Amino acid sequence: MTATISKGVGASLRRKEDARFLHGRGRYVGDIRPAGTLEVAFLRSPVAHARLLGVQKPTGLVFTAADLPEIRPIRANSTLPGFRASDQPALAVGKLRHVGEPIAACVAPTRAEAEDLAAACVLDYQALPVIADMLAARAPGAALIHEHWPDNAFLETRRDEDLTDLDAVAAAKVTRRLRTARQHMAPLEGRGVLAEWDPRLEQLVVTTAAQMPHVTKTGLAECLGLDEGQVRVVAPDVGGGFGYKGILLAEELVCAALAIRLGRPVRWLEDRLEQLTANANCREHFYEVTAWADAHGKLLGVEVDATVDAGAYSLYPFSACLEAAQIGSIFPGPYTLPRFRFRTVSACTNKPPILPYRGVARTGVCYAMETTLDALARQLGISAQAIRAANLVPPEAMPYRNLVGKVFDSGDYPEALRRAVAAVDVAAVRARQAAGEAVGFGLSVFCEQGAHGTSVYHGWGIPFVPGFEQAQARFTPDGVLELRVGLHSHGQGLETTLAQVAHEILGVDPARVRLVHGDTALTPYSTGTWGSRAMVMAGGAVAEACRQLGERALAIGAALLQTDRASVRLVAGQVVAGDAAVSLDQVARTWFRSPQNLPANVDRGGLEVTAGYRPDPDTGTHSYAAHAVVAKVCTETGMVTLEQYVIVEDGGVLVNPMIVDGQVLGGVAQGIGTALYEEMPFDSEAQPLAGTLADYLLPGATEVPDIRIEHMETPSPWTRFGQKGLGESGAIGPPGAIVNAINDALAPLGAELLDLPATPARVLAALAKAGRA
Amino acid sequence: MSITLTVNGTPATVAAEPRTHLADLLRGELLLTGTHLGCEHGVCGACTVEVDGAPARSCLIHAGACDGASVRTIEGFGEDAVMVALRESFSAEHALQCGYCTPGMLVVARDIVLRLPDADEARVREELAGNLCRCTGYRGIVRAILGVLASRRGAAS
Ligand code: FES
Ligand code: FES
Repeated sequence: MTATISKGVGASLRRKEDARFLHGRGRYVGDIRPAGTLEVAFLRSPVAHARLLGVQKPTGLVFTAADLPEIRPIRANSTLPGFRASDQPALAVGKLRHVGEPIAACVAPTRAEAEDLAAACVLDYQALPVIADMLAARAPGAALIHEHWPDNAFLETRRDEDLTDLDAVAAAKVTRRLRTARQHMAPLEGRGVLAEWDPRLEQLVVTTAAQMPHVTKTGLAECLGLDEGQVRVVAPDVGGGFGYKGILLAEELVCAALAIRLGRPVRWLEDRLEQLTANANCREHFYEVTAWADAHGKLLGVEVDATVDAGAYSLYPFSACLEAAQIGSIFPGPYTLPRFRFRTVSACTNKPPILPYRGVARTGVCYAMETTLDALARQLGISAQAIRAANLVPPEAMPYRNLVGKVFDSGDYPEALRRAVAAVDVAAVRARQAAGEAVGFGLSVFCEQGAHGTSVYHGWGIPFVPGFEQAQARFTPDGVLELRVGLHSHGQGLETTLAQVAHEILGVDPARVRLVHGDTALTPYSTGTWGSRAMVMAGGAVAEACRQLGERALAIGAALLQTDRASVRLVAGQVVAGDAAVSLDQVARTWFRSPQNLPANVDRGGLEVTAGYRPDPDTGTHSYAAHAVVAKVCTETGMVTLEQYVIVEDGGVLVNPMIVDGQVLGGVAQGIGTALYEEMPFDSEAQPLAGTLADYLLPGATEVPDIRIEHMETPSPWTRFGQKGLGESGAIGPPGAIVNAINDALAPLGAELLDLPATPARVLAALAKAGRA
Repeated sequence: MSITLTVNGTPATVAAEPRTHLADLLRGELLLTGTHLGCEHGVCGACTVEVDGAPARSCLIHAGACDGASVRTIEGFGEDAVMVALRESFSAEHALQCGYCTPGMLVVARDIVLRLPDADEARVREELAGNLCRCTGYRGIVRAILGVLASRRGAAS
């Protein structure tokens, strides 16, 4: 292990994928345009709720749902009891249910001409009352978005436990009503689809910016009535995902059907205007939280009523309910909560359908829990650190099973809290406060379940439950190691980290390892890259495939060295017996080109192994972190400045610490956006009001401070190398920590902020409510 | 309309609709797809190229306005010493993930390095305000640029 440390598990190896991007040689969907390609512009709904009466088409290629009956509706039904099913038509049928819903595909040689066609369509519709707000969706007499339902709820989940007795015994009780804003994931590259029909193979080839190409393939086959073998999905370089590209798209179905129909390549590239107006699709939650604590801050019980604005449809594959259904099980967070009552509602509204964004429901849950804890602490007159220390799961309890059955694998949560607090000069903040400065200190502590498997997702009711992750490892005749995985790398650096895993097992130089990913014709089936699962699942699968491949190479190598299997070992990419050695290149050459030299009993599977992997138990890894923030509030303008940002993070064994830091930092920048800037406002008619990136504010280099990360490395007992999933973690903690810092700054003024993002206007409104502005 | 311009040192004459912007011309007609489009309204900076020696947003320039101009895209920097140093530094500092913002970032970074040899972290961040990255959180990008600035100052003294 020591001989390989510089390139194996634990090395901050520079990324193999960097070179092509640094020279402008990345290849994204929009860069690919075969001869004869036709471009699509979609005619989209201008209103949020209406009866669609007809479309008058201009001369040209314009297709509505009636023209493409071969496309079946998308169906993503949760298996949870009580779920209300609905179809999502690829092109609108009968009704329009949100602004931006595709109605017709307009096809022309250039996008500009296609847009001209869309502009020349005349839409006939009859407006219906609009449900623009998730709480209004449940009001008695509210207009129904899916008329065969009794009300506008996809699903309600609950855990009943009577907590009324706590009023009599608790030293403190707080109730808070909190809202998070609807956001856009806003990867820098939009979605894009290029569909081609290969008449020779009778195969549909769809090149698409996708995080889960195999799931997309299954969805395309289902909705187009094709055999899965007739569909090949290729995800080339993808310019950021974050959940936005973890979906079967209506646009993919339409482009595919058109490519088959027209016998020409058909391409659609989402532009930023349609992205912002049609697809602001995440994070919008409402919480009513009540919490009881004793005099030391020990939680006695929590009650939460959570509503998620799930939008108009249930998206494939995660369904409209993943987010809300998860809230009940993750709300207790990293704490030992003794009693708990919840109700969650996935509300159907006339807004774009919800997709899980990095962190999924955890960002909202962490915000609700962490701000509630601070409110309790303020009431009790104890510190934010003290109330957390009183409730965190202690290390000696690991592995710990909480009251809703969530299993934490390992870690020292209180130590992360201690280190985060120690990294900030809290006394200096208190001194500045005493001098009258509006500055505050805020904390959030959370854990992130990642790489959770079959049992967990089955329990959450999603229609696509992940099983064993597979990887293929094979030598090519020149001795290069090729790894094939069915998930996709779009910034996570898997081309590097999986090569590091292979190096760890086989000693092959990562420079001689190629990762093949993102092509369903070349890779084993996978549910894809999401849920912080890639490094645990694909890492484990690659390790196992390489181990088995190594066994086969050892057997051949032993024969070449004229010794037995027991006398050889793999050392630095060679089969070694005493002083003699053969390289893996020689082993590969022997199998492929000099089989006369193979031993008689050689494994006929050759130098190609597909192996499956799933941790046991499959309840997932729990990375965790404590975020500590110092924020200054300008009480005149409402502007918030982040002065310090410290993270103590435990992701178990880090396969590539540099890449892990990159994941954390990128996530934090997004979390800062959630906390302070990002919001898609809708008016009362559910019209989105931010149509450019000058209105929808993404954090830039001046908004993100220089963030300090400290690592703890408690191995997960259940994964191949002790690694834990943590790709989403950075995006979870910031809103809680930042708003706690703001509220700490505002507390002397009697003001408290409850809703995200904490824009200057909201800060000023909070001050005004306290009579301070 | 017909437009004559120099792209990456090579003269080119292309036919384009007047409403075409420079980025579409570069990507579509000249197959220089290293220039990326993130917003097409001048906010994200992904489309930044060099026009007559200065960074410019190719999504905001009509192709017609480029007649006679000299344009350099990410594909055109070859062994330019500053660009070589920046590529190295970007990789070392993990200044890129999905790579989509990277071409625009590099063009702007090179301009910062040449124009502001004494820039500190705050100034570098300010100068990057017109380039969005959704993946990295900017720390790697800022450090990569500061690293090149520092080594050039070291070499100069
Ligand atoms: S694409 Fe030109 S600035 Fe965004
Ligand atoms: S690396 Fe993905 S947007 Fe910057």
